[in-house]
Amino acid sequence: MAAVKPRPVDERRAEFARYKKDVKERGKPFHPYAMFHDTVMSLVVVSVITGLAVIWKWTSWGPHHDGLHQGLLGPEYTDPADPGTTSFVPRPDWYFYFLFYLLRIFKWPNSVFLGTVGVPTIALILLIALPLYDVRRERRLSRRPVAVVGAVLTVLSMAVLTWKGATASEALASEVIADVPTWIKQEKLPQNAVPGAKLFAVAGCTACHTYLGTGSSNLGAPDLTAIGTRNLGIDFQIRHLKDPASVVPGSPMPKFASLGEKRLHDLALFLEASKGKR
Amino acid sequence: MSEQEPLPEPHLPPPTLWPIGFAVGIAVLLVGLIINPLWIATIGGAIALVFGLLWARDATADLRGRAIHVEPERAELRPAGTAEIGPPVTPHPEPGERFPRSKFLEGVTLGLGGVIGGIVTVPIAGFAVLPGFLHQKRHQVDLGPVGDFTEGQWYIATFMLDPSEGDVSRRTAFVRNNGSVQAKGGQVPSFTIISNRCAHLGCPVQANGPTGAILGMKDVIEKTKNGKVTLSPTLPAGFGCPCHGGQYDTEGNRTAGPPVRALDRYDFSIKNGHVLLLSTYSVAKVEGTGAQAKIHKYKLVGPGEHVDGIEQVFYPLNPPHH
Amino acid sequence: MAVRRQPSRADIRKQRMLAAINFPLDWLEERSGLVGAVRYFLFRKVPADTNWMQTLGSATLTAFIVQAVTGVILAMYYKPTPNDAYKSIQYITDELTLGWLVRGMHKWGASVFIILMFLHMGRVFLFGAYKYPRELNWIVGVLLLVMGMLEGFTGYLLPWDQTAYWASVVGINLNGTAPIAGPWLAQFLRGGQEITGDTLTRFYSLHMLIVPGGIAALIGLHLYLVIRLGVTSPPWSKEAAGMERADEPQHLRPGLTRPVPRGGGGSS
Repeated sequence: MAAVKPRPVDERRAEFARYKKDVKERGKPFHPYAMFHDTVMSLVVVSVITGLAVIWKWTSWGPHHDGLHQGLLGPEYTDPADPGTTSFVPRPDWYFYFLFYLLRIFKWPNSVFLGTVGVPTIALILLIALPLYDVRRERRLSRRPVAVVGAVLTVLSMAVLTWKGATASEALASEVIADVPTWIKQEKLPQNAVPGAKLFAVAGCTACHTYLGTGSSNLGAPDLTAIGTRNLGIDFQIRHLKDPASVVPGSPMPKFASLGEKRLHDLALFLEASKGKR
Repeated sequence: MSEQEPLPEPHLPPPTLWPIGFAVGIAVLLVGLIINPLWIATIGGAIALVFGLLWARDATADLRGRAIHVEPERAELRPAGTAEIGPPVTPHPEPGERFPRSKFLEGVTLGLGGVIGGIVTVPIAGFAVLPGFLHQKRHQVDLGPVGDFTEGQWYIATFMLDPSEGDVSRRTAFVRNNGSVQAKGGQVPSFTIISNRCAHLGCPVQANGPTGAILGMKDVIEKTKNGKVTLSPTLPAGFGCPCHGGQYDTEGNRTAGPPVRALDRYDFSIKNGHVLLLSTYSVAKVEGTGAQAKIHKYKLVGPGEHVDGIEQVFYPLNPPHH
Repeated sequence: MAVRRQPSRADIRKQRMLAAINFPLDWLEERSGLVGAVRYFLFRKVPADTNWMQTLGSATLTAFIVQAVTGVILAMYYKPTPNDAYKSIQYITDELTLGWLVRGMHKWGASVFIILMFLHMGRVFLFGAYKYPRELNWIVGVLLLVMGMLEGFTGYLLPWDQTAYWASVVGINLNGTAPIAGPWLAQFLRGGQEITGDTLTRFYSLHMLIVPGGIAALIGLHLYLVIRLGVTSPPWSKEAAGMERADEPQHLRPGLTRPVPRGGGGSS
């Protein structure tokens, strides 16, 4: 008699029936064996949650006890919502940082929707439909290379994206101004260069230039940490700031003539005094 | 089968309705004690007494030897299997009859169920969804006298769109008085009024320039019918967004980063010497600067939406904005 | 024939105590059948080698229960309007007795809940416990993950401080960039063309009622499926290895009651 090869679905049903039978015969009752493990773990979870709440309260207790003091776990609340702010840096909750950083990766305007809805939707579809396209019966890790590699890559990329999202910052006026004292110390700037340093921090220069590690490199703008060593001279600096394209042909840098002569002079003094870290 | 001892006869009280009257009497007595102890309580007590005596007379009837007829607790049980099977209640459909009664009942039940479901769900769903789309308010903001705006000077203007809503309606715009420009009818004032909501995802855009203490110029604070309006002078060389690195020039055009178009602008008018902000509109790009700027205007759309180019096919239909 | 000794006084006391405990349980069981259901859940068999990693699921459930309970208590004091929300949070955190603890537990419980969900999902993935017949359970689980993150997103707006407001602006506008339906979805979430008090109450309703209701329902389904389909053993278990190996020839497939034979052992 020719043996008919059983259909895969019948094989699976038979295997599952065998599994059920085996568990019934040789398994242990959920209570108290597995229940004990679950209870211990739940205790750990509740303790961690309570512990974090307590630490949050203690470390955010500033001298004013007004909740706005920054601590190890952040403040208990920030300032009240101000829809008209020009100095706040929005960030989502930490578990959304990987999506947040994804948006900073898709910088080309036509690709924005990929970062906002494209990639997350595709990832979600892959995740939901997983058991529908992974139909192999094999469960041992050593024989599931695609699954293991996929898992490792996913975890690593989400970890990296989350960390990058946590450390991302834009060099904008409201934040860079806090770096000025460090600049003065590290570059040993003279007193007359300080007003220019402050102007440099708030005028948006760090949106395209880097200076002592602050700022970002955009549109080919050079690092200005040691711009003074090129000895370009105060006059050159002022002319360049007023109309960069007339001095450096093809430069995409905007014109800063509106700052006025005095402020342009301050900026030029600062730039010429920046001879690098000393 | 062994002989079973007959169970002793249970003592059953005879059926009687007098307790009802007794209860009514007690209730009237108690109410009367509160309202009118003299009359109502007395009446209540009398009723209770009369009915109580009648009840006691009934209850003790068998002790006094009177025969009591008590209905048995349970009717005689018929032995199983003696039920008669009569003709079916719903007869089989006649030949040619396509909708027997059971199918009709089924259909009507489901249909009525659907109607009930609809009556409950549709208004609720409508209430959840529609109010967000209908009756959107127009706003008109009084920014203060034109004289507050020195020509050529940028101001960061903070105002409230709707004072009755409070702080949640506070907005910021970058305002510059461009002087006047020749247009049909003579000289008309020209203002550049740029919204500070980034065109990428709506983050609050900052001015790339000195303000406040570093600039050394004082804020102007006005109180208009829109509440407090603050004008902070600034000297921006452009605008930048803190979220994902969008950069704009002084006309609001995108120069770097993910924003998909230029910054939105406000329409304005001058009424009684005051600058009034009217509705917001979206801008694809701006050519030229200041009073001579050519603004490619579009209806207001949300952040991240393209208004021109081939990508606008992704956003064919927008909810109504004002 | 065994000789039964007379019950001692200690035995009689013990019998009476058991009877006293069992009496209310039997009363309840006869009238509802619930006690039997709980007994079935507690004493059902699970594989003998279940692992500590398999406690992550119930740990997630614990975290959710913590969130639900602390959330309900916070709702007694929180006021969901733009003018009062921030002040009520301040009041809860700074002045109400133990308010700081309940609020802190709710805030950090959210992060713990999401971390545990990801860990649980990773564990299920690595164990291959999403394969036949547990596919539906996996799908329900991913939906629970999405709803959990939605809870986090809607809850984040409620303190109505700067962090809350702007994170929600961006989050809503993110939805708005979806092609075709995006702008309508964003306006629906906002409850208008701008973020107003209506947005706050809308998010409050989503956070308190709609999403937790969905999560609770899906958790019920998730648990029902786990009980019905059984718990998997770890993939390295001798028991499991014998079951799912598709490439092993039939005669070498060991029974679950004996270890893997090498080179033609006894048939199963």
